[in-house]
Amino acid sequence: MTEKKEIPYLIALTHSSQLRIEQINALLVKILHEKQSTLEAFFQGAPDSWKKDFSLDEKELDGVKAAKGELPNSSFLTEDLLEQGYEVISLYSTEYSKTLKENLKMKSSPPILYVKGNKQILREDSIAIVGSRDASDKSLQFTDNIAKRASQQYKVVVSGFAKGVDKQALDSALKYKGHSIIVLPQGIMTFDSGMNKYYTQIIEGDVLVLSTFFPKAPWSVQLAMGRNPVIYGLAKNIYVAESGHEGGTWSGVMNGLGKGRTIYVRMPEPGESNANLALIEKGATPVDFNGEVLEREVGRVSEQMGEYKIEAKSVEKPAKQSKGKKRKRGKKKAEKDDTQLDLV
Amino acid sequence: MNRNEAEQKLKQLFGFDRFYDDQWKTIEHTLKGERMLLIERTGYGKSLCYQFPATQFKGLTVVFSPLIALMRDQIKKLNELGIPARCINSEQDDTENEAIIKGANEGKLKLLYIAPERQENEKWIDATRSMNLSMVVIDEAHCISVWGHDFRPAFRRIISLVKLLPAGFPVLATTATATRRVEQDIVQQMGGSTVSIRGNLVRPNFRLRVVKVKSEEEKMVWLGKRLEQIPGTGIIYTGTRVNTEIYSRWLEYLKISSVNYNAGLDASSRKEIEDGLLNDRWKCVVATNALGMGIDKPDIRFIIHTQIPASLIHYYQEIGRAGRDGQPTYLLLFYHEDDKSLPEAFIDGGRPSPQKYQRVIEALKAAPMGEREIMKATNLTRNQVRTIKADLIEQKIINEVKSGKLKKYEYRYRAPALNTAAFEELRKAKIADLDKMIEYVHSKQCRMKMLCDYLGDLASSKCGECDNDLGKSVTITVDKDWKEKVEAFRSEYFPMLEVASSRTNLLNGVAGSYYGVSAVGAAIHRSKYEHGGDFPDFLLKTTLKAFRKFFGKEKFDLILYVPPTESGDLVKNFAAKLSSALGVSISHKLKKVKATKPQKVFQNSLLKSDNVAGAFDYRPASDINGKSILVIDDIFDSGATMKEIGKLLTELGATKIAPLVIAKTVGGDVTRL
Repeated sequence: MTEKKEIPYLIALTHSSQLRIEQINALLVKILHEKQSTLEAFFQGAPDSWKKDFSLDEKELDGVKAAKGELPNSSFLTEDLLEQGYEVISLYSTEYSKTLKENLKMKSSPPILYVKGNKQILREDSIAIVGSRDASDKSLQFTDNIAKRASQQYKVVVSGFAKGVDKQALDSALKYKGHSIIVLPQGIMTFDSGMNKYYTQIIEGDVLVLSTFFPKAPWSVQLAMGRNPVIYGLAKNIYVAESGHEGGTWSGVMNGLGKGRTIYVRMPEPGESNANLALIEKGATPVDFNGEVLEREVGRVSEQMGEYKIEAKSVEKPAKQSKGKKRKRGKKKAEKDDTQLDLV
Repeated sequence: MNRNEAEQKLKQLFGFDRFYDDQWKTIEHTLKGERMLLIERTGYGKSLCYQFPATQFKGLTVVFSPLIALMRDQIKKLNELGIPARCINSEQDDTENEAIIKGANEGKLKLLYIAPERQENEKWIDATRSMNLSMVVIDEAHCISVWGHDFRPAFRRIISLVKLLPAGFPVLATTATATRRVEQDIVQQMGGSTVSIRGNLVRPNFRLRVVKVKSEEEKMVWLGKRLEQIPGTGIIYTGTRVNTEIYSRWLEYLKISSVNYNAGLDASSRKEIEDGLLNDRWKCVVATNALGMGIDKPDIRFIIHTQIPASLIHYYQEIGRAGRDGQPTYLLLFYHEDDKSLPEAFIDGGRPSPQKYQRVIEALKAAPMGEREIMKATNLTRNQVRTIKADLIEQKIINEVKSGKLKKYEYRYRAPALNTAAFEELRKAKIADLDKMIEYVHSKQCRMKMLCDYLGDLASSKCGECDNDLGKSVTITVDKDWKEKVEAFRSEYFPMLEVASSRTNLLNGVAGSYYGVSAVGAAIHRSKYEHGGDFPDFLLKTTLKAFRKFFGKEKFDLILYVPPTESGDLVKNFAAKLSSALGVSISHKLKKVKATKPQKVFQNSLLKSDNVAGAFDYRPASDINGKSILVIDDIFDSGATMKEIGKLLTELGATKIAPLVIAKTVGGDVTRL
């Protein structure tokens, strides 16, 4: 658990220093891990010692000074935050999601998680289901299938509380008595309506609400985009129900693939005008309507998938080892798909 | 800055030559960014210990103070000295408060006084984000401790804040009254490194007296005979709201100028009385302990308690407001052995039963609710709900959250079970405090020393001025003359029913008596619930007397009565007798059009109002239009029924609606000061 006294320092450093996440995390390692000290002791030190003992450069020094100036203000905010039942988990707390840390590394793991609800959920095995705000019924049904399976396997469903797939993922997980993490595109203290709507599930421990942003920050497109890596990071496996050719889902998947993550994309049926196939061609792993990886069950897939039979059959190896080949094959298909789309 | 330099600045800024030693010690620590607790008697000059540093810091000093009157006084004085200070409080409108916050954000203020409750206000918390804060002050810091005499839940958040403030940020807590136990509790809560400074608590100009009496009547007679012999003006503290009214009317009856004050009055009336007190407008203000803390009048010459306070610390705090100018000041405590039942009732009734706590918990498990919703869902009084939710927040069972502009309460995930052991421990401590208070009454030792010892100032010696030290005792003889005066007053004393409002043509009404304090209650109960037949004639006589005294000059066209819920024709028959006695015609057409439950099953006014809303009708309207109407009922409690009928009759065109009842309940008064 993060000691309460440390929270105002952590908040000031994270949101007032104007430093990059990587710089903040590196400083936290130095203070808390290498020096086995506290933020309180660090901030009481003089700029000289910051420079000397923590080898901060000028920009970092300015950042720490700015954070120090905000400390009393940060205390007022922290008091209000804790009073309202929100909790703060720092990167160095044992409560911090290990999955998130492993996926995002020091470079981009958020220094603070603001949460309300059952924190134990962060330790559970997890999947994320992502997709468009205006997804088709088919995609929503897929989402329901995946959420059901996850819930039955005691896996947490991570989603982003947007319309469409996100909302379906959350509601389905709860319908099947599963656990869910809502990753907010805003500060956690600005989420009244959602807190009221999911009140029972929160107090019964089925839902954890989580935000990585300044607690009072209102919703914005920028934050909505900024939240995607956190959704991906919190999940061991990622399922894409439906993606457009641009926008949050698309860029999120591309980002994830770029980091070498396995991303499962629903294999579209003929005539669907989404970008699912394009993503598969870019290297995502196709799955069937129930989330089964197509490569591994060639026979069944071929029956179900009709037209894609040949391509699916031609997948030879499990996803992780076949990334290179798959990408090549995928590319061909994407081109074809794009052409089709152009014609439409 | 050394003391010399500081005292030069003190002279320039405040006009004083030097600091007292404890003042300078406190200021020195404060300027170094340390946490301090300062315990000094009223009038010592505690506020200078933060006002001076505030002028030396670059940024803003925030002073949490529960006392609006004190804030106003201090700000006036600071502004006269040219020091920019303001306060935000609930008595100023939003625009004014926002302008002040803006000024604070722009760095135009040195001191900002706010009530601790403000910490629950979203706009305030948002504003603190951009303030340049230099120091936090907690005034009346004994309110932090549940072991103190005036624990206030709002201070819990201030302590949470202090715990989170960065190291090296100065925090000063001040109080005039803290026992050793309270002192340790405050220090521990503020953080172990807090330095505590404790001064001498003796008030050498105090003339402490205890007056043992054999009846309430003796207290009244003593005041009648002797009050005017005490020089100057002062305060009489009674135990209940009802008694503020009774004692003040008694003094009025004797032509001794007085006014009554309690928390039931609206803010502007209270302020007016506070101002009147400062300007010696009356011989005395008769008040509950809602009056006092922070009234900065240097020459309050006497404080008389007609009711024993709950502890010595309450007593010291309440009398502490008197005689700040150092001139001789009289402090009288009346005591009758039955008096301890009131503080005992407070202690026993201080906390609702665990079942009631459970009711709130279950309601909040189903949905987040505001205070009114909880009252409606649980049928508990506002005070019960407030006590319960403060405890549940403290025990981390529920959270107070903001939902838009509203405050809501929500059950906490993995909330612990309710811990009632803590309540029992507190109850025992309060019983012990009360025992000590009664010991003071009977004690033969120096009273000032006893107070100081109790408050942890062990160094004090005999005061030489109290009744025990002087070997004198104050006694009363009630001669026939005075006995008759009291009886005459009582027979003419009728409680007022405050229902008048600008939205209806209701007048304030009158009751024949209080329900609980005379034979009237028993008589009503017999008739209503024990098949005792019609209300007895003496009730008719008292009610007629009340009518004549209160409405003697008014003309009425029609008598209506409140249709019964469960007591049959009692009220109808009673109204008929009044009708013939007064020669005003009676109508039986005021009807109940909705089934209602007896009002007494509802514990709060919200549910009582809901119960009777739309419950009455009268036809034809032509009977009412343009008429002046007297409405009769047996018992007046929350007033919800009368208000509902008043609304209906106003809509039907009545020009004047006057409530007249046999008795008014006092039930709520025990817990509402």
